[in-house]
Amino acid sequence: MNKPTTPRKRQHLAFLLGIVLGLAGLLFLSQMDRFHIRGPMNTGHEDVKCMACHKDAPGSARQQIQANLQFVLGKRQNSANFIHAPVSNKECLECHERPNDNHPVYRFLEPRFLKARQALGPDRCLSCHAEHNGRRVTLTDTSYCRNCHKNTQLRKDPVDVPHDRLIALNLWDSCLGCHDFHGNHIRQPAKTVEKIIPPEKITAYFNGGLSPYGEQRHHQAKKETDDGR
Amino acid sequence: MMVDKSNGIIVLTLVCLAIYLFVSAPPPLETNKSEEASIPVEQLFKLLQAENAAVRALWTQEIVGSGTKAGLKFDEHWRDKDLEAGPLPALFLRETAKSLEKSPVRISLFLGSDFPISPDNRFEGLQQDKFQLLRQTQQAQFFYVTDTHLYTGMFADVAIAEPCIDCHNKHQQSPKRDWRLRDIMGGTTWLYPAPAVSLEELFRVLTVFHQSVQEAYSTYLDKVKTFANPPVLGEHWPREGYYLPSGEVFMREVLARTAPQTLSLIQQSIHRLEVPDHASHR
Repeated sequence: MNKPTTPRKRQHLAFLLGIVLGLAGLLFLSQMDRFHIRGPMNTGHEDVKCMACHKDAPGSARQQIQANLQFVLGKRQNSANFIHAPVSNKECLECHERPNDNHPVYRFLEPRFLKARQALGPDRCLSCHAEHNGRRVTLTDTSYCRNCHKNTQLRKDPVDVPHDRLIALNLWDSCLGCHDFHGNHIRQPAKTVEKIIPPEKITAYFNGGLSPYGEQRHHQAKKETDDGR
Repeated sequence: MMVDKSNGIIVLTLVCLAIYLFVSAPPPLETNKSEEASIPVEQLFKLLQAENAAVRALWTQEIVGSGTKAGLKFDEHWRDKDLEAGPLPALFLRETAKSLEKSPVRISLFLGSDFPISPDNRFEGLQQDKFQLLRQTQQAQFFYVTDTHLYTGMFADVAIAEPCIDCHNKHQQSPKRDWRLRDIMGGTTWLYPAPAVSLEELFRVLTVFHQSVQEAYSTYLDKVKTFANPPVLGEHWPREGYYLPSGEVFMREVLARTAPQTLSLIQQSIHRLEVPDHASHR
């Protein structure tokens, strides 16, 4: 014969059930996504759905647990992703890929860019554009060109202070004053150093402000479809 | 008594979990690693390099070399809207490499040198060391890059035609102006994330490479169509006059030039796969 539960116990059970159901709703209902994201979406990503980047990992949850147990027991060579696959360049490029990127991420996989990879990680989009920070560029250094361009020279240098001179003077903050990293803005770079965009405007742009390079772009990012792709 | 009950519940939970995970579980998840990956990645690189060298020779001699004589222009700024030009050989390779990256197959291709026209393409670090070794030994270099976990193959990029050395010897920014035919002018670098591939993967990579060459050539043809006086596209080649082969004709020639060597390398790979089987039957 079951022992009758006291009203207090029933109350506790009801609380527990409420909390569990509430959390389950937050975690599993896509409409509730905004309640458990790690931080504000980056500039321009405000309407991007979670599933656009957080793709399902292959297999069912059961298969994933099974595979990971086998990995722990040494019966499988590699572990399996659980629930979601890790976010990679692929997800970013689904919207942002274009034919004229001046610095495509794959180029930095070449062995000779080891120092740049160690300093910046330019082979990964998320190194500079870490999501859930409410900004456009999360890299704070605006002099990062120094990692690769110490030998840059121009045949017919159009600037009043030639590039090799700017490099010799270590004026690395000046690079972004004319050139945006991916080269997607349609604009004429300044011919005189005094007319370049100042670093504070670049920083404000990184933080989500207006583009100092103008609003004309070669390629617009793709808009995701209703199913989050 | 209470402890016994708790233990019972734990045991029962574990039994249920075991049944859930193993006894009634769905088929096991595939591993990312190919079970039949038995062709060394070096073999894949050699095959791709042979293909790439043939494409590069075809582009340099039959399109750039003959095309220049026929009145076509090729320029490092070929993408500029106000310039009616096509990509120089190094840039055609870069177009192909860019197309390769769009595919889910993780094969990468780069071109560099110790005396590049653009200083941004100069080899450094380990890649420079391996390239010097390649220069000295005239042998391709294969190595593993630890931070990217990529297997790497480096091959000599040889001056096969007059346009190569003419352009590099005359270019204002060239750091070396005494190039001669058959000189090693630079190196092509291939990257792949596994030490070996299956026959199926080998074919997949090869298919992706052909598609990338085709896409690079199509990009050039798209540009040509914007010329004020575009050459006739079809069966004819620039050596016959102000013509360009259509995409189909260009790829037909690519396959004609690459097929014998590629087929031979694939046969070698298959033979290697079969040898262990023969040995086990003896």
